[in-house]
Amino acid sequence: MSLLLGSMRHHIPGYKELTSKKAILEVNAGPQVFIPMFASHSTQFEILVQEGDHVKVGTKIAVCKDRMEIPIYSSVSGTVKGVQKIMHMSLKPLDHVVIENDGKMERELPFQPLDYQTATREELIAFMKEAGIIGQGGAGFPTYVKYQSAKDIKKLIIDAAECEPYITADHIAMENHLDEILVGILAMRKMAQAEEAVIAIKKTHTEMIKKVEAAVANINGVRVLAVPDVYPIGWERALVRYVMKKDYQKLPSEAGAIVNNVSTAYAFANALLHGEPIITALMTVSGNAVKEPVNVHCPVGVPASELIEACGGYTCEDVKLIAAGAMMGKTIVNDKFVAERQMNAITVLATESYDSVACMRCGQCCDVCPVGLQPVRIVQSAKAKNQAMMEKLHAMDCIECGLCAYICPSRLDVTENVRKAKRQLAMAKK
Amino acid sequence: MKFTFSVSPNLRQKQSTKRMMLELTIALLIVYAFSLFYYFKEFGSEYAIQALLMMATALGVTFVTEIAWALFKKENMKKYLASSFGWITAIILVLMCPVDTQLYALGMATFFAIFVGRILFGGFGQNIFNPAAVGFAIIFASFAGSKVADVATGATPISTMATGYNWLTLNDTMISTLLDKFDGLWNLFLGWYPGGLGETSTLLLLVLGAILAIRKVIDWRVPLIYLGSIFVLSSALALFSGMSNWLWYPIFHVCTGGVAFGAVFMLSDPVTSPATKQGKCVFALGAGIITVLIRVLANAPEGCMYSILIMNMLTPAIDQAFSGKQRALIKKSWISLSVLSLLGLGSMYLANMAITPAEPKKPEKPKTEMIAMGDDYVNSLSAKLDGSVKNADGSTTYQITAEGFAAKEGPNMPDYGHPFEPNQFEITIAADNKTIVSVNVTAMNDTEYFGDKILNAKYLDQFKGKDISTLNEVEKNDVVSGATFSVKSSMRALLEVKKALGY
Ligand code: SF4
Ligand code: SF4
Repeated sequence: MSLLLGSMRHHIPGYKELTSKKAILEVNAGPQVFIPMFASHSTQFEILVQEGDHVKVGTKIAVCKDRMEIPIYSSVSGTVKGVQKIMHMSLKPLDHVVIENDGKMERELPFQPLDYQTATREELIAFMKEAGIIGQGGAGFPTYVKYQSAKDIKKLIIDAAECEPYITADHIAMENHLDEILVGILAMRKMAQAEEAVIAIKKTHTEMIKKVEAAVANINGVRVLAVPDVYPIGWERALVRYVMKKDYQKLPSEAGAIVNNVSTAYAFANALLHGEPIITALMTVSGNAVKEPVNVHCPVGVPASELIEACGGYTCEDVKLIAAGAMMGKTIVNDKFVAERQMNAITVLATESYDSVACMRCGQCCDVCPVGLQPVRIVQSAKAKNQAMMEKLHAMDCIECGLCAYICPSRLDVTENVRKAKRQLAMAKK
Repeated sequence: MKFTFSVSPNLRQKQSTKRMMLELTIALLIVYAFSLFYYFKEFGSEYAIQALLMMATALGVTFVTEIAWALFKKENMKKYLASSFGWITAIILVLMCPVDTQLYALGMATFFAIFVGRILFGGFGQNIFNPAAVGFAIIFASFAGSKVADVATGATPISTMATGYNWLTLNDTMISTLLDKFDGLWNLFLGWYPGGLGETSTLLLLVLGAILAIRKVIDWRVPLIYLGSIFVLSSALALFSGMSNWLWYPIFHVCTGGVAFGAVFMLSDPVTSPATKQGKCVFALGAGIITVLIRVLANAPEGCMYSILIMNMLTPAIDQAFSGKQRALIKKSWISLSVLSLLGLGSMYLANMAITPAEPKKPEKPKTEMIAMGDDYVNSLSAKLDGSVKNADGSTTYQITAEGFAAKEGPNMPDYGHPFEPNQFEITIAADNKTIVSVNVTAMNDTEYFGDKILNAKYLDQFKGKDISTLNEVEKNDVVSGATFSVKSSMRALLEVKKALGY
C-alpha cells in the first residue's frame, strides 16, 4: 500500500475453474471456413489464390504487404469460394477468404521444420517471419519484429499470467503441451540472446507453478516467477515493471526485456517441430451464458456459432458475445465472426444492465488505472472539450484495459468515455 | 437470439455507489443511536425526543425539497430520490448540531444544505462544498442566538477551551479543572459529554472510520492525515509554549470540536475532495493545518467546519496542480506535503508567540454594597414588634414581623405557590441594650432561591457584636446578591428593634 499511489491494478475474480480442469474439445471445421484477411491492424493483403483453386491445410493463401510481411495459410483442404465481407473480432467488417471444406484435411508443409539448437539466431528470426507467428496475447503483432532489433536483452519474459477473467487457454496449453512450449521458449531465448527466460504464472495457480518448475528444473536459465493475481499483470509494462523493477519509454527492450505470450511460444514450437504455421486456435469458450464452458481447439476460420454449438449453446436469450476476454474484448452483435489466429477466447455473458448513478469523484478509477491516469478527470475535460487538459492528463496513453469502468462504483462507462476523449484528441490532430 | 452490444469492459465489480452510501448511512445512524442513548441516559427522555425531532425535521425538509425539485424538473421520482443521497447530508447536519438547536433553524439549514449546497450545483456529485458544512455555516451565521436556553448542555469542552482558556494554558490547576469538568481525557475520548449530537465520541468515530476504510467506503488517508496533522501541530504548539506534561493537549485537540466526525464523515466525502490519492493527502494536511490555526488564532471552536469549506474551495486547484501521470507526480507530491508541513509547524511557532497562555484569574473581591438604614424602600416596609423575651444572661430577644418582597409586592406577583406573608425575625441584644448578639430568620416567605439567601450565616454574622444604636448601614455582600428586598426586610426588622430601644 502506498501513500501517494493507488494500487494501479486490481484483483478480478477469474472464474477459471469453469474450464481449467476440462479436457480440450476438438472442433472440426464445418462445410465452410472463413479466413480473415487481417494482421496487426492491417487489412492490406495480397490474396494468392483465386476462386475455384484447390488448397490444402498449410497452403499460403495471402500475404500482408503493409509495413511488415505476414503470411496467412489455409486451415482446411478444399476449394476457394471467393472473398466475403464478415464482421471481424476487431468489430470491423473485413474481407474473409471462403474455403469449402472437403473434409479430407490433406496437408502440405509450407516450410520445413527447423532445429533451433543448430540454427543461427538470424535463421530463427527469418523462420519465425516466414511462419507468420503473431502474438497470441490478443494483439496479433508479428513476433519476429521484437527479436529483429533486440539488443542487450537480459530477460525473456514469458507471460503465462492470463489475467483476463474466464480465459484458461494458456493454462490448458501448458497443461497439455508443456514440452513443446519449452522448445519454443528456448528458441526464443536464443533469438533474444537473453541470459534468462522467466515464466510468469499467477501465484494462485500453485499446481501449475509446481508442474512447470519440475519441468524446467534441469534447464539452465529458465525459471518460474509467481506473479500476483491481479489485472492487468499480463500487460507488457506491468510485467516488465514487476520483473525488471524498471520502467521504459517505448519498448520493453529499453529495460532489457522481451515479453511474449506462452501461447506464442507454443505456436512457434509447432512451426519449429512440425512445420505448421498458425492454422488452428486454442481458445476458451466460457462465461455465464454458455452451457458447457470448455477450451476448444479448432481450425482458424470456424464461425463462432459453430463453436458455441459445440459447447452446448447459449443458456439465455439475451447475451453479450465477446470476441476475447470480458475486460478488453469487444461485443459482437452476431455470431458469424470466426476463430482468429490470435484469438484466445470467446466470452458469453448474460446481458445485465447496470444501474448507474452520477460520478461521485471517488477517484477509484484513478487508483486502479495501471497507467496512472486520472480517468475521471480525462472524462470531465472531454466533456468540457478542453484538449489542452486532456493532453496534460495523457489521455492518449490509456491502454483501454477497462479497469476504470470495472471499478467504478457508480457503474459508469468510464473506459468508453476515455476512448471518446482519445478520439477527440485524434480528431484534433488531423 | 439477441446479441446485445455494449462497450468493454463487460464486467463490473460488486461495490456500488448505492451500497457505499447505504453503508455510510448505517455508520451515521450508529453514531446517532449513541447520541440518543447518551441524552436519554444523562438528561432524560425530553432530550432524546428533541434529538428525534431534529432528525425528523432535517429528513422531512430534505425529502420535501427533493420531491418538489423532482416534480419541478419532471424527474422519475423514485429514481431521483434513491440516487440523490440527500438524506446523508441531512443526517450529517443533524449530527453536527447540539441538542438544543431550534428546529426552525435546523430546518432552514437543511433547506440551504440541500437546495443551495446540492441541487443548485447540479445534484449529487456536482457540488463543490460539503453541503452539510454549508448548512451548518448558515446556522452559525444567521441563527447564532437560536438555541433553546439550556443550562444543562451549555458548555462543551471546545467552547470552554475557546472562551475560558484562550486555547493555551500552562497552569496545571487550570488544566486539571478543564479536564475534570468533562471527567478527564478518557471520557473526552469516549464522548460521554454534551456537544454536537454525533461529534463527541472520538472512540466510536474512529472505530466506524476504520470499518468504513476497510470496506473502501472512505479513503483511510484523509482521516488519518487530518487527525494526525492536528495531533502533531498541537503537540508542536504545546512544546513551543514550554508546556510540561503536554500530551493531554494534542489529545484534547483531536477529541474535541468534532474533528473526528469531520474527518470520517465530511472531509472524506469523495465529491468534494481531490480525485487522486496525492491530491487527497495534500487536501487532508491542508485541512489539519487550517483547523488548528483557526482554533488557536481566531479562537473559534468551529475550526473543523471552516477548514473543510476552505479546502473544498481549493479542491479544483489541487486537482489542477496534480494533473498528469500519477507516478510522475510523486516527487511533486512529496515536495508539496513537506512544504505544507513546514508551513504548519512554522505557523505553530508564530502562533505560540501570538497567544498569551491563560493564567488563573485572581480571586475577585466579593462584591459588597452598603445599604443605608434610611433607605426609602426600607422605610416603606411595615413592621411590628411581636414581643420580647428576657434571657437568663440578661440579654433580650425581640420577635419582629417585617414585610419583605412577598408581602409588599406579593399581590401583583404570579402565584409562586406560597402565601404572600411577611418575614419573621428574632434579634437578640445583649444586657447593655446595645450590642447585637444575633440576628435570626424564623420565617422566610420571600421568593424561593432569592429571599432565602439571607439565611446565609455569612450575611447574618456581620451583625454580631455591632452596636445597634449606631448601626447606620448594612453590608449587602455576595452571598445575598439578588436578595436585595429580603436584605431590606431584615434591615426593617433591625430598625424596629432600634426604635423599641429608643435610639
Ligand atoms: S470510479 Fe466512477 S465514480 Fe469514482 S471517480 Fe471514477 S468515474 Fe467517478
Ligand atoms: S482503460 Fe485506460 S484510463 Fe481506464 S484504467 Fe485502463 S488505462 Fe487507465
